[in-house]
Amino acid sequence: TMAAARLCAVLLPLCASVAAVRGLFRGGTGDYRRQVSMELNPGANGSVGLDLLHVRAVGPGDTLHWVLGSQGPPALLLVHTDSPNSSLTVDWPRLLSRNSSGSLKVEPQSSVRYASALLFRRIWEYDDTNDTADPTHAPPSSFLPPYELDQFSWDDLNRTLNRSSLSAQLCGRPSSSSSASADTFQNGSLCLEFSAFDSWGRSSAWPRLLHSANTSQLRVLIKGVAVRSNHSRLVLELAAVVPRDQPSRVDTLHSIDDEYSPTIFQVCQWVTLSPGSSSAALGFSQWKPVGYRSEKLLTEFATPARHSAPEPRPAPARPSLARAFFGEQLGEGYQVSGLNLTFGIAGEPFYNSTQYLSWTVLVGVGSPPWDSFSVLVLSIMAVALGTPALLLLLGGVCVCVKRKGRAPPQYEPIN
Amino acid sequence: MADGEERRGLLDEDESEPAIPSLPGSRHDPASRRPMSAITDPSTLLHRIVVLVFMCFLGFGSYFCYDNPAALQTQILQDMQLNTSKFMQLYAWYSWPNVILCFLGGFLIDRVFGIRLGTVIFSLFVCGGQVIFATGALLNMFWLMEFGRFVFGIGGESLAVAQNTYAVSWFKGKELNLVFGLQLSMARLGSTVNMNIMGWIYSRIQGLVGFPGYTTLGITLMIGSATCIFSLICALILGFLDKRAERILNKEQGKTGEVIKLTDVKDFSLSLWLIFIICVGYYVAVFPFIGLGQVFFIEKFNFSPGEARAINSIVYIISAPASPVLGFLVDRTGKNIIWMLFAVLSTLAAHMMLAFTFWNPWIAMSLLGVSYSLLACALWPMVAFVVPEHQLGTAYGFMQSIQNLGLALISIAAGSILDSSGYLFLEVFFCACVSLALIAVVMLYLVDFLRGGELNLSASARGKLQKISDAE
Repeated sequence: TMAAARLCAVLLPLCASVAAVRGLFRGGTGDYRRQVSMELNPGANGSVGLDLLHVRAVGPGDTLHWVLGSQGPPALLLVHTDSPNSSLTVDWPRLLSRNSSGSLKVEPQSSVRYASALLFRRIWEYDDTNDTADPTHAPPSSFLPPYELDQFSWDDLNRTLNRSSLSAQLCGRPSSSSSASADTFQNGSLCLEFSAFDSWGRSSAWPRLLHSANTSQLRVLIKGVAVRSNHSRLVLELAAVVPRDQPSRVDTLHSIDDEYSPTIFQVCQWVTLSPGSSSAALGFSQWKPVGYRSEKLLTEFATPARHSAPEPRPAPARPSLARAFFGEQLGEGYQVSGLNLTFGIAGEPFYNSTQYLSWTVLVGVGSPPWDSFSVLVLSIMAVALGTPALLLLLGGVCVCVKRKGRAPPQYEPIN
Repeated sequence: MADGEERRGLLDEDESEPAIPSLPGSRHDPASRRPMSAITDPSTLLHRIVVLVFMCFLGFGSYFCYDNPAALQTQILQDMQLNTSKFMQLYAWYSWPNVILCFLGGFLIDRVFGIRLGTVIFSLFVCGGQVIFATGALLNMFWLMEFGRFVFGIGGESLAVAQNTYAVSWFKGKELNLVFGLQLSMARLGSTVNMNIMGWIYSRIQGLVGFPGYTTLGITLMIGSATCIFSLICALILGFLDKRAERILNKEQGKTGEVIKLTDVKDFSLSLWLIFIICVGYYVAVFPFIGLGQVFFIEKFNFSPGEARAINSIVYIISAPASPVLGFLVDRTGKNIIWMLFAVLSTLAAHMMLAFTFWNPWIAMSLLGVSYSLLACALWPMVAFVVPEHQLGTAYGFMQSIQNLGLALISIAAGSILDSSGYLFLEVFFCACVSLALIAVVMLYLVDFLRGGELNLSASARGKLQKISDAE
């Protein structure tokens, strides 16, 4: 045992340093992998009129359940259990009825460690004739009737489900029964691109957020909408279901690395903190305060996204995924907290110039991943600093040797 | 030794007076000159100060308009709907003609046009180029703006050569360094005024005109070209005064005295090539950075546009007083390579501070300004130590030519790096360029030391060496 202890004492720091170096390259998310499986409408018989995507990411000692649904406002539900055998059960008749609370359950219920949901409620449109991009100070008359996302009709999720890349796309437009804003969406759509991950990585579309096995990514795409005025700008209203007694806040952190999202030096994180601790997070939503006005990866299409402070909002009234899972807890143990994301800045082109707006958010458990320098940057700096240092060292040695070897001059010049 | 110094002093005094052939009875006999007031007499100091004023303002317009793109970066990007790499083409097109013109400038002034006509022609190019640039903005044609910058480039650098030639012609001798220093300070003043004023002018024009952005931009650039017209007037006045002085004092037209022989390139020593590498590696990390600096400070450090422009101009503001002071320092102490080492190391430190920290960027930019001035004072005189006098013209021409080539290429590269990979990667790229210059400095020291060379002598040692070689 003494020999074993000594071996451990030697190996542990070595492993730790190797892990640290790997962690440095992978942003501290480690080499954690999960087994991810996707199923559409679990337990349903035939077509049920709405789509529910259930993604199960199983790790060594826990499971993450992701549920993407379009009932009510489109929502992404996250349930973290500490058992690798937990499962989602759906009471379909109850889910489709008026009172759907409790129709989504994760069994065994005692294993649920953390649950939250991210809801997309409305897209506001305001007429920015003064080009200030400041909806908080815009006159109420400039606000056009918003697009209520719980009144949208959604396309079939089965067609966009891709099990090999673990992604799905939920696209919708106002249903004919919604208010007069239906005709502006003729050829356009609001799409939510969902991606689940089994290990760490980085997507190819900007802002290329670093994701890990503990996260999934949602990309909001508002494409081809014929807005109602030439000076329209859009505001996205989000809401999150957070535990009532545990504090949650939105932090804007500075990052010196903008390699993956050029000219963006900030990261926003909406974290739910664990009770009694002000730094350890239970769960988070992370995004970069930028939206993009085109698919092309060019910095001229970046548009700043500013968020408001989260405020308590009323729970969704109609049957919704949030109510289906949280049920009566929605008014008691949990509360709905919402914020507005404003896109654009004074002087920038309006939505009409490209008719394209995208924004990406990363949802997950634990602490949010933190970006680190790419291997290329680190190696360039190593070479750029190392080579001159080496040369200086060698040169210094050379000079010293030469100086010692030089015979002192015997004669001084006369003049 | 004392003899040698006195002898040299006498020679200098002889050379500083304009040559006056004293043929009796000729029209140019000094005795037959009409008495003139002090200010109109070309041989008096007062008149030469008047000429100095015009000489300094000769280059003001060119330096003012050179950095117009940097001062109006956000406006140009927005109004002409560009990405950064296309924006940097505005700087690249300025540098392209100078890759070749650096060799031809002296030849054109000495043999083809003469100093007076040459200055006026180059000023016309500067003026015309800026007007074409502004017209391109007014008509929303980016290719015309690039063409305008090309024409502007043809005139810009050659005008600097003409300005130096005028200075040597009027102020040869002990006042020359002061005049060069003053001209450089005026140039930097022009850049600084440009950085801080153009944005303000743009916002005032925007208030007056309700038109789309490119019209406002065009009007602002046209206002900027007024400085070029002012410089053109100075060129005309200088030409008149110079012709008048030639008539009165029978002074010869100034010549650059440069002899460019491209075949001399094969005789350049390793030390000279290392100096070229230092020049290219260093300046490509300064000028394109200033060109792109405004948006960097706005985005990373959350500066307002006015603050960002001010901090961008701090390099020039510092260099205006620092250049003469540091030049004096380097002249007194010698050891040019050590000063260059300090300059390059502190520039590397400045770029790393800007890249990897959020420390107040005023520190890094001030450091950059001081080290930029220090390097200029230590680097350019070194060419004269390495190269024999008859090859000096070729060496300087070649150095400026590859400097412009490097600036043209790296400006475009910097723009596209920024567009695809962001500011951190751009700063890392600049760090790599400065590190290349640093490697070249270290190697220059080693090569010079191992060959027993004389580049890094202290001023007193160099003075002794000069006396010995003069006595031989």
